[in-house]
Amino acid sequence: MTDAADVYIEGVAIELSWADRTRSLTELIFTTVSKAVDDAGRGYEGIDSVVLAAHDLVDGRSLSSMVTAPAAGAYLRDEVRYSDDGAGAFAAAVARIEADEAERSIVAAWGRASEHDVEEFSRALFDRIFLAPLGLEELHVSALNAQKWRIDGGDASHVETAQARRATAAKANPRALHAGGKRSTPAYPLASDHLPLWADVVAAVVISKRPSGVRIKGLGLSSEPSWLGDRGVAKAPALKRAAQRALSEAQIGVDEIELFEIDGMTLYDEAIALEAIGLAATGEGMRSLAHDPRCNPSGGSMAGYGVPAMGLARIVEATLQLRGAAGPVQQGRPRTAMASGQSVTAAQTQTVVVLEAA
Amino acid sequence: MELVTIEGKWDFNYTYFAGESASRFFHELRENQRIMGTRCTKCEKLLVPARAYCDVCMSVTDEWVEVGPEGTLETFTIITTAFPGLPKPPIVMAYVTLDGADTALINLVHGMDLSDIEKAAQKLNALPRVRVEFIDEPKGRITDFSFKLI
Ligand SMILES: [Zn+2]
Repeated sequence: MTDAADVYIEGVAIELSWADRTRSLTELIFTTVSKAVDDAGRGYEGIDSVVLAAHDLVDGRSLSSMVTAPAAGAYLRDEVRYSDDGAGAFAAAVARIEADEAERSIVAAWGRASEHDVEEFSRALFDRIFLAPLGLEELHVSALNAQKWRIDGGDASHVETAQARRATAAKANPRALHAGGKRSTPAYPLASDHLPLWADVVAAVVISKRPSGVRIKGLGLSSEPSWLGDRGVAKAPALKRAAQRALSEAQIGVDEIELFEIDGMTLYDEAIALEAIGLAATGEGMRSLAHDPRCNPSGGSMAGYGVPAMGLARIVEATLQLRGAAGPVQQGRPRTAMASGQSVTAAQTQTVVVLEAA
Repeated sequence: MELVTIEGKWDFNYTYFAGESASRFFHELRENQRIMGTRCTKCEKLLVPARAYCDVCMSVTDEWVEVGPEGTLETFTIITTAFPGLPKPPIVMAYVTLDGADTALINLVHGMDLSDIEKAAQKLNALPRVRVEFIDEPKGRITDFSFKLI
């Protein structure tokens, strides 16, 4: 018998593009949400709510949801808007279904990097009083973390192999961005190909209690202090806590997970994240990224990156793997997967999801 | 058919209230050229920059304590892109834990020879001791000071 609280992923879709002048943002959203609903296979029957992850500054539209929500199916439905990463929105949507506040939900997340200056946006996010005058950007925080990881003895001998593996995976992934996109200027110790490939990303899923291919086994969220200097640099304590919560809810050990789609902006962020979730020992995350085929078969941030959609993008990739439908990047037939998403600003908030083939 | 694109720019004015604690921190920078922290009444950590509360314990702070002016570099990055109001790149940005403080402070590191980035990085990798250096006419802003290798 099915546990009454179980929630399933019925349908998924993702599209990465770059500066496609033939479609507006709402048209991009409409296309991907429609694909996710089609993938679930029973139209809009029973869909009573949508949870959206989007960011007004990313969209460049004040109260962006007014324009974009109907494109995600919100008309006459219960709409919740989450101004942060898509995995967090996913967690909120699952909780609402578990609480019987919703029956069947669309979760959608998007970010169109081609429409704005990524660095300008990034600088606008930081604290106005202490950090903004220093011109701090997201990728500077990633660089500070990367260097701290190296200083603390992180095994950097696998950097090139890990990067090559990311590149190969991204090239093979049919859902990755294969033309266009752009990269920021790297700050030491990062190199250009360690950086995310900025893309226009829309991800969408349909969830409900109706048994379907993929079941949600565990969810965990956690947050770090707002002051960057108070944090466990290169340790990602919020991700560690979120992973522990998700694993504990799923009653499974990290070693039993057969596939990982873990969000990180740069190569180093991904390696540090693998340590935080407990898959790799401290300093060994780069080795896992280089040699463990379970880790980020999608190609990670090399495959294309658009905040705040990446947590949901990881959930879509993990779902496809569990269904055996990931195409050329399929890794055997995993039964369990972990996906994560980090918040828009300096990975302050982390969401971890444990999924299982039902 | 021409595909239309519309240019957009947000340019709003805001006035941010820094609050009493940050104001006193900035006042100390301008008037006394010293870096102040506040101590959490619960975990007793000395938090820098000074602030009204500890968001780990959700407790207020009470005591004001001067930290530094020397400290230890924790990590760094070398930035090669320009930003208005900052020196010409390359610039070094670092986390430094000032003596007496329990948290790190982000700011720029000045006075290094950056003609060879790798060589400069090697030096910083050794987690050198640094000293706070103030600009000639402090204005009561975070940009009033930077770090210099001792
Ligand atoms: Zn405290």
